[in-house]
Amino acid sequence: MSLSSKSLYRAIALAAALSAGITGLRAQATDIKPPAKVAQPPLVDFGEGVTFEISPHTGLMGSSGTFGLKMLMNYSSLSLEIAGEQVIGRTANLYPISLNAILNLSTRGRLLPYGSVGAGLFLTVPTNALGAETVSTLGINFGGGARYYITRSFGIRLEGKQYITSVSSDRDLKDELLFFQEVSLGVTFLFR
Amino acid sequence: MNRQCCPRITGLMILVFAASLGAAAQPRFEHSLSAAGGMYAASGLGTNFYYGARYNYYVLGGRYFFEAALCTGSLQSTVLSSVSKAQLFASERLTTYEFGFAVDANPAGAVPFLIFGVAGVNQGGETSFAGVIGFGKRVPLPGLFGVNGIGVRFDARDHIFSQRLNNSDPFIVHNLGATFGLQVYF
Repeated sequence: MSLSSKSLYRAIALAAALSAGITGLRAQATDIKPPAKVAQPPLVDFGEGVTFEISPHTGLMGSSGTFGLKMLMNYSSLSLEIAGEQVIGRTANLYPISLNAILNLSTRGRLLPYGSVGAGLFLTVPTNALGAETVSTLGINFGGGARYYITRSFGIRLEGKQYITSVSSDRDLKDELLFFQEVSLGVTFLFR
Repeated sequence: MNRQCCPRITGLMILVFAASLGAAAQPRFEHSLSAAGGMYAASGLGTNFYYGARYNYYVLGGRYFFEAALCTGSLQSTVLSSVSKAQLFASERLTTYEFGFAVDANPAGAVPFLIFGVAGVNQGGETSFAGVIGFGKRVPLPGLFGVNGIGVRFDARDHIFSQRLNNSDPFIVHNLGATFGLQVYF
């Protein structure tokens, strides 16, 4: 009995000492700072240096289907482009080959809209007309579009363009202006 | 020729799907190149051997991909050359080039991918702009020959376009192609 009383006293004393120790402790006043936001670099930044792009595309010029390939060199807000495509017509195929200057309205981010102007050669190649020859004319084009990058090296490109060329008629001895509108959709591969 | 090809193509498809069931998950690659051969049935112009190359760019873990393809074949027709003695085109060369977008909902499973796109179908020098629908299955075979970037694939395509022959009224044709090939991922 006396032993258990001693144990009880010891337990009470230990509890009292512990509680005294706990009350002596103070909460540590440390400011926990939230992790600093790290500025993420833009997905694509044409300001980093010269980049190259290859853009295969398809689309419609009038009611004719088109296939083409564009190659670009991007110098920040300015890009130089060489483009060639095939416009599949009913009696002839048209092959516009052009050199274009592109003004990038934005040079950083995912979505990069642009305006474009250029000039080039239009080759009209008859497909099934006997005796018909290839006709080549000079023309200009202008338009605009946008590139949307899914990754740092791959994106989708949508573009609308107006082509203007002059064709001389042997019968009337007059020049006639021809207008073609084109809408194209393609992909673009970016190389650094 | 069609009767001989159909069981072979069906057998090939069964083999590919069976192989896909046992295929292990493949490390993710962004690009692939494949060389393939098969048969192409040009509507009304005969069925002939057809071969070519395909390039794919994969996004979102391979569940979607873009494809560019260039294939060639022949328009040789026994009926046209021997029976009717007709020549519809300047040559018998067939060339197709495709640009498509594919949805591969289950790249590691047995479900085939679906592809939609456009194509240029050059038949004997006359090109037509075609819509493309098709399906296929790619089966990566990691570990084959000690590398992870090799696989096989099966493809079937329908080239749908408006055709005009010898000043006929335009009519819609369905040219069907099926190929089987080897694919290299990188």
